[in-house]
Amino acid sequence: MSWWGEQEAPGLENWLKGSIALFEKETGHKVIPTLQDTTVVVSEFQTASAANNAPDIQYLWNGIYHMESVWLGYVEPLNDWIPEELLKASNATSLSIFGGKQYRLGWYAVPYMWAYNKEMFDRAGLNADQPPKTWDEFLNACDRLKASGVIPVVGGLKDGPWGEWFLGHSLTQNLDSAGEAIDLFIGARDWRDPLHWEPWARLEALWKAGYLNDDLNSIDLYPGIDLFGAGKGAITIIVGPLVPKMQSLLGADKVGVMVMPVFGKGKMAGKPLADTQGLGISSQSKHKRIAADFLIFLNRPERVSALWEQVKQLPANANWDGSVITDPVIKQIWQEWMHGDNVPYVSNLMPTLFWTDAMFVNSQKIIAGEYNGEQAGQNAYEVTQKWIAQNPDMVEKYRQWATELKL
Amino acid sequence: MLRTSRFVPYLYLTPAALLLAFTFGYPLIAIFDFSVRRIRGASGPFVGLENYRQVLNDSVFHLSVAHNAQLLLAVPILLGIGLLLAILLYERPRFWPLYRTLLFLPYILAVPLIGVVFSNMLQLNGVINEILRAIGLRALALDWLGSAGLALWSVMGVIIWREVGFGMTLFLARLQSLNEEVTEAARIDGANWWQRAIYVTIPQLRGVIEFYIVVSIITMLAWVFSYVYVMTRGGPGNATIVIEMYLYNFAFRNALPGVASAVAVILFLFTLALTIPLFRLRAQALEEDRT
Repeated sequence: MSWWGEQEAPGLENWLKGSIALFEKETGHKVIPTLQDTTVVVSEFQTASAANNAPDIQYLWNGIYHMESVWLGYVEPLNDWIPEELLKASNATSLSIFGGKQYRLGWYAVPYMWAYNKEMFDRAGLNADQPPKTWDEFLNACDRLKASGVIPVVGGLKDGPWGEWFLGHSLTQNLDSAGEAIDLFIGARDWRDPLHWEPWARLEALWKAGYLNDDLNSIDLYPGIDLFGAGKGAITIIVGPLVPKMQSLLGADKVGVMVMPVFGKGKMAGKPLADTQGLGISSQSKHKRIAADFLIFLNRPERVSALWEQVKQLPANANWDGSVITDPVIKQIWQEWMHGDNVPYVSNLMPTLFWTDAMFVNSQKIIAGEYNGEQAGQNAYEVTQKWIAQNPDMVEKYRQWATELKL
Repeated sequence: MLRTSRFVPYLYLTPAALLLAFTFGYPLIAIFDFSVRRIRGASGPFVGLENYRQVLNDSVFHLSVAHNAQLLLAVPILLGIGLLLAILLYERPRFWPLYRTLLFLPYILAVPLIGVVFSNMLQLNGVINEILRAIGLRALALDWLGSAGLALWSVMGVIIWREVGFGMTLFLARLQSLNEEVTEAARIDGANWWQRAIYVTIPQLRGVIEFYIVVSIITMLAWVFSYVYVMTRGGPGNATIVIEMYLYNFAFRNALPGVASAVAVILFLFTLALTIPLFRLRAQALEEDRT
């Protein structure tokens, strides 16, 4: 089994080892876990599969991060191996389904949100219990936070993911479905339409207004988030697994969470972004039954509860009794982000060329003052055309996926 | 005298030749093969020169080439500093072995380690800028890695800082093997330090200088990935992307090994085209020395 996750959810390794020990004791089957480095999670699996040497169980990020492997025939559909009820309960999200088959089983929740410092909101004369919902309210809040002497929004762009998160939150705002995001990535919609480069125009406006930390381009994602944890910024973009860390640094009662304030008019605007990390089975596995049994074992009520008790990670499994959560913010995340009226994280649909040449480049160039929103849209359009030329065999798969995600 | 068949030496060489063919030859052939296919997984359909066409028409590739070319400016700097330090140490100032060790130290440190340390130090609010601000040089506290205009120069500075120790050690080792009488004679004849360096010492280092130039050119074209990856990831906004990073993106991120292989072939041929004339010049110089 090759897996990832200790990096974002410390303690997961111990939980996994404990689960393996219990599984081995019960079934006599041995599971050897290998923790992967972040940079090789996708490529290592594809290379191993190409060499016919893939692990039985593979950690799979959502969306395109595993769907390309699915299209290459490396991932086994789970429908014949795992009960339909568990497939549904595991919350793998619609981005794990292609051609009516599900390829991942959800493991733990990764909701995407904006976190804010309630104490700083209070000091700036803002209502900490009513975070801004519209863009105008947000700009007003930034203005008052800045006037109170704090940096309104902090982050780090140097390594890229902060730009991905910002785009993930803002791109949805002018879309009605995740399928429409795919339309953009395969050229069926046009990035040069102001509706679609608006996210970068909003980023540009925040930067020019001085609402972002001045070293945004020179620090990585996590040091950027750490500025929030160190009380040096009022708002940051964050994922669920990091919220407890911020609570321990700032005090549980000082951290609030909110959806990105709304500027768009799409049906997905203003809705919480839900995602889960997951596991799948290699199509080359000679032990598919055992692999499936292990995944089912990890979803036993006792193991799912242990994930919360030992690691303090929200399980993806919807059958878990969330009433045991006592912290109001974590409870809010569980109810609103994971089980409320949520939408998938559309950055997971982005081809990697778009990640490296458009998303990464656009966000950094905007902060460096080299691009405005419109130029970012033009670059996104050109990168999309380049991707289409380089991946003619993938476009049709994407098109089918888009159709399915619009249903 | 023992008489053996003329084929026997070749027989002895065969295992080593096979090993070399497997470790170097096979990957090279595979890369040429991959570069004309749209590889998915381990193989893919033949697409002719399409991968090359896409790479050569890609503005990001052009940018990568331009950045590698800019990094070549580091070669004369490395050469100049390395020579200067070697000649200064050759004069054996007090504590010279200590200086030599200190100057060589960066070269034995792992590039990722250096990259992480410098990327922290060079942040807008990092140690270097904090010191500059503290001593009243606020205007010099720039966004070394976050500004598109500065980032590649900053990376180049770090490369020079680490690599210069290698050149210095190479030159010093050669200097120490020279006949000191020549230098001594020049000194007795009244040549000053500068004249001795220019007219006596450096000409005797010609061979090692040529070798160092070739190695440094190869470094700047094909060995800077670790610096860029750790310090900037090619950013901000492709401001530091180099050919290796471009290749890496296609090989490992964009899952297009065919395109990555086309880049590898271009890089290989370009480096070869650049280094072969240099080696020829070297051989010519050796020939002239002999005659």
